[in-house]
Amino acid sequence: MAQELTKKQALARMAVFGAASAAIYAGIFHFAAPITEMFARGGMYAAMPIATVFLVSYVHGGFASNLWTALGITAKTQQKTVQATQTTPTKRPEVRATLNA
Amino acid sequence: MDVALDSLKFIDLTTSSIIFLFIVGFIGGLVSGFIGSGGAFVLTPGMMSLGVPGTVAVASNMCHKFPKALVGAIKRFRYGQVDVKLGLVMAASAGVGVQVGIKIQNAILAAWGQAGSNLYVSLSFVAVLVIVGGYVFYDAMKRPGAKASGPTLAQRLQKIEMWPMITFKTAGVRISMWFTIPVGFATGMLAATIAVGGFIGVPGMIYVLGASGLVASASELVIAFAMGLGGTVNWAMHGMVDIRLTLIILAGSLLGVQLGAIGTTIVREAMIKIVMGSIMLIVAVSRALAVPKYLAELGLVEIPKDAVALMDKASFVIMCAALALGAVIILGSMYKARKAESRQAAYGQA
Repeated sequence: MAQELTKKQALARMAVFGAASAAIYAGIFHFAAPITEMFARGGMYAAMPIATVFLVSYVHGGFASNLWTALGITAKTQQKTVQATQTTPTKRPEVRATLNA
Repeated sequence: MDVALDSLKFIDLTTSSIIFLFIVGFIGGLVSGFIGSGGAFVLTPGMMSLGVPGTVAVASNMCHKFPKALVGAIKRFRYGQVDVKLGLVMAASAGVGVQVGIKIQNAILAAWGQAGSNLYVSLSFVAVLVIVGGYVFYDAMKRPGAKASGPTLAQRLQKIEMWPMITFKTAGVRISMWFTIPVGFATGMLAATIAVGGFIGVPGMIYVLGASGLVASASELVIAFAMGLGGTVNWAMHGMVDIRLTLIILAGSLLGVQLGAIGTTIVREAMIKIVMGSIMLIVAVSRALAVPKYLAELGLVEIPKDAVALMDKASFVIMCAALALGAVIILGSMYKARKAESRQAAYGQA
């Protein structure tokens, strides 16, 4: 999960997903006219734009997610967990003898 | 590979139009990730202002909407905010609402023509946005920072034991299916009429069903995905999707939707209602400015052409301003929350 990555790991993933995303966009826009025409033929050709946006949402979505993590913009829930694990060892509960009379 | 595109259907892309679509996509994504919907009301007229035919604009917008909603829903699911069951139950009745909405639209189009249809859309916009948006805004301002407890109406409805009762675990709600149906139906009706079903869906889930603002806005993304995918299959089978426009908007909105989703974990929950209420009320003003034009086209009032053109421009600018304001509130409150957090951390270390 991207949220658990360190900034360095996120940066590496961002580079991989970013390169893949750039390649997809470059490929599609290099052949923009024939692809647009083919994707708009209707009927069974409808599967093509739908499959393309699913692919882009995975690849470009992966890039976007890692970009925000690499920039240090992460969800608060993660920080709470980190804080909790850091502070727990410093405070130990006092051992008290109890009498069940 | 020289293929000439049909110029009536596909526009020539310029650098400025690409930048415009990317930026609106990013801001629309940011707002969607935060409040569960938004962006579509600016994107469709925005594309049309670039010369894209209405049907291609609607289809291309819808084709970007469902993958964006999917990415946003997955992100917010990881934060424990999405009630998938609630989203799917709502989406089922919303599907019926969309079909009824389309039938009403077609009937109005047949009876009063394009101007009558536009007038109906604008009046629906104004009425729904003023009433629902006004209440959402009032509620957000009335109890700033208050914990989302079940509002009175929702609590009353939850007490009514009418078979079949459905339990939504993440939302923490147990309610009869018969109360989810009208909310979902109205969401679909609005989606078919003004393209933003979330303006009814999110407040409906909060005030009628009793979900929190966080869960309602996150679950709305599930509804948006289901409805968007269904709509896209329909439009794509008619060959109306311009994949270039879709991909440019998607490039911006996938960045925005994730940032908006992160924002929901950083800022206080009432901000969702504040952003939603503000956008709805400003968009209502924008659509109200479009009403005189359609009244004039129907011959019900007489307005000078210059005034109509001015109101038309003002309407579009105000609509863009609504989206921009939403983005500014989200980014501003995220920045403030981060700053307060780092200040607290500094105190802790000292």
